[in-house]
Amino acid sequence: MSTETLPADTGPTPSGTGGSRTPPKRVEGGVMSKPRGIVVTVIVALLALLWLFPLLWALINSFREYDYTQANGYLSFGGWTTSNYEEAWTRGNFGLHLKNSLMVTIPAVLLTLWLSSMVGFVLARFSYRFNLIMLGVFLAANLLPPQALLIPVFRMFREIPLPLFMSDSGSMLNSFWALILVNTAFQMGFCTFVLSNYMKTLPHEIYESAELDGASVWRQYWQLTMPLVRPALAALATLQFTWIYNEFFWATVLIQQGDKLPITSALNNLRGQFFTDTNLVAAGSIIVALPVLIVFFLLQKQFVSGLTLGSTKG
Amino acid sequence: MSLSRSSAVPRSALVTMAASRRSVLRGLALSGLAVGGANLLAACGGDDSGPSSGSGATVKFGMNEVEGAGPAYDRLKAMADAYAKDTGTDVKINSVEHNTFQESINTYLQGSPDDVFTWFAGFRMAQFAENGLITDLSDVWPIDGMSDSFKEASTAPDGKQYFVPKDYYPWAVFYRKSVFDENGWAPPETKDDFMSLMDEMQGKGVTPFAFGDKDGWPAMGTFDILNMRLNGYDFHMSLMAGEEKWDGDEVKLVFDTWRTLLPYHQADPLGRTWQEAATAMGKGECGMYLLGTFVADAVADVADDLDFFTFPELDASIGADALDAPIDGFCVAAGGQNQEAAKAMIKWLGSAEAADIANDNADVPFIAANSGASTSTYNALQKKSAEVVGAAANIAQFMDRDTNADFANTVMIPSIQDFLKNPDDIDGVTASIQEQANSIFG
Repeated sequence: MSTETLPADTGPTPSGTGGSRTPPKRVEGGVMSKPRGIVVTVIVALLALLWLFPLLWALINSFREYDYTQANGYLSFGGWTTSNYEEAWTRGNFGLHLKNSLMVTIPAVLLTLWLSSMVGFVLARFSYRFNLIMLGVFLAANLLPPQALLIPVFRMFREIPLPLFMSDSGSMLNSFWALILVNTAFQMGFCTFVLSNYMKTLPHEIYESAELDGASVWRQYWQLTMPLVRPALAALATLQFTWIYNEFFWATVLIQQGDKLPITSALNNLRGQFFTDTNLVAAGSIIVALPVLIVFFLLQKQFVSGLTLGSTKG
Repeated sequence: MSLSRSSAVPRSALVTMAASRRSVLRGLALSGLAVGGANLLAACGGDDSGPSSGSGATVKFGMNEVEGAGPAYDRLKAMADAYAKDTGTDVKINSVEHNTFQESINTYLQGSPDDVFTWFAGFRMAQFAENGLITDLSDVWPIDGMSDSFKEASTAPDGKQYFVPKDYYPWAVFYRKSVFDENGWAPPETKDDFMSLMDEMQGKGVTPFAFGDKDGWPAMGTFDILNMRLNGYDFHMSLMAGEEKWDGDEVKLVFDTWRTLLPYHQADPLGRTWQEAATAMGKGECGMYLLGTFVADAVADVADDLDFFTFPELDASIGADALDAPIDGFCVAAGGQNQEAAKAMIKWLGSAEAADIANDNADVPFIAANSGASTSTYNALQKKSAEVVGAAANIAQFMDRDTNADFANTVMIPSIQDFLKNPDDIDGVTASIQEQANSIFG
């Protein structure tokens, strides 16, 4: 799993808000006295800069001509252009590949959240004997490197026939179904763990009254639990969207048809056989990173509150 | 990728145990899909795929170039379109980026491959032939206009052809004509000429050789040519096949000669890409550059001023008649659905007509493998390339195509880089290569 893929997105925001917001509230006495507050701000700002530097560097160079930077070096200033973006979009065929990515990511995120919320609900609400083992199995699967399963999964998918209207290759290989299923399977362990822990924090009394009012198990799940875990779902949706969208490994193994590759692999289209225009690749990377940033900023509030809510359980 | 473990079995071992039970079983396991696919075809008589060849047939064509990648894509696309138009065959193109295609070739061939796909000659082709992943094309050969040396390059160790060449490009020593003219320099013929030329360049403050090995593979070209000049083509090829010792005197001699030549190269090559090295030659800071003809792409503004000569002889008893000239072309996947139509198409792809169509429809032509192809679109460098390769007695494919891919990428790249970092520890480098070669070639 690629938990570290976009450190700059998750890194600065919690520390930034925590660092700058705390000092004014406790002007005197507290851990964050004024001089300490300044020190913390400086350190946090430095760390944020350190995280952001590579991104900003790529952003700046994505607006410069390759010929100019090749002649004058990357420390120079000038050669501004937006042609890299136009060329990256058309040459990388990003429209098509972005559509592919969304066709894999959105169903996979929904499926993961739905299935793992059901598992989490059962694990949190009922005390069967296998509960702990079950949770352990989900967690253990989380530790399994996907590379170790490469050959079994590949061979299995090759043998599973699909009707031609679902996959024009006639098997799971080269179909979006394969990617959706694989991503769902690999992300479920983590989601189940988070969601079941979160559901355990819901007061038991609510379920007792629901029981008294005659709510079925399904209703307790769908109409009672699901609305209450919305913050956790939103936080997970953000994370899962990022991870599955950024997923590269399974996409390159299971998809061999150029027009079905997701956008992360389409970034390779900007490389040449012998020659790579790094400024063009920088522009392409920025385009590819945009959807994740948009999703993150839209769901940011839920993401941060989801983090803190999860953490109080311990 | 761990699937490529199967290709870690050396060619020599495979040849000697070709008929043994283990290899038969492995072949079965690997070509499981191929067998299944063939049965399926036999069972349904190809009803759903129309005629098996000619008008109305469907051929899936996998190409390792994507739209926008430049002339390489335009040429392949033009060939596919022309074939579809002429024969009425439905050609379904699957275009994948060059490096991605190459890196996922193992899963591609064992998954649901296209019928015809672009590939390379040499060990890279032979290892798939051994594993039964590509189709025997000996009934497609001979192809009009393909010389014996191309036929040989298309032949796997079992003596059958599995490949149809499309084009090639030579590795040679490039230089700027104007720079050489200004200084009264001439391409060297003998070792003495060569050494005195380099000394003179240094005397004038010009670094004789541009050199960059940040990506790992460019320095393989230097190793190849030194080995072929010092130990001969035959030794080079058996060394690549894992049949000679890497810590023997021959290889040590190569590294030792390289060490004496290093002062004539740009210093600190590990921090420089080949593009940057080429730019240094383009600016006249360096006199020469040993690279493939693609060097012209990086110095487009002085490309007309470029010329080249083959690396001079270093040992008079061996001469200078061998060089690296990687050949690109096509294979038919054993897992493809329509073998007959695939063979019909691949035969056409090897023809002079196909090469002409490709070259007429792209900004930059390739050097066609077929000798019947028109050379009218060639630029001066390409015309000379065709002459030089035609005159060469032996053609190697370049290290990462001539030997096991695992060995080339995981052993040779870091080893050569270690050598360039510390040229004095030749014994250490060669011993370490041999140790790793033992585990890869068995």
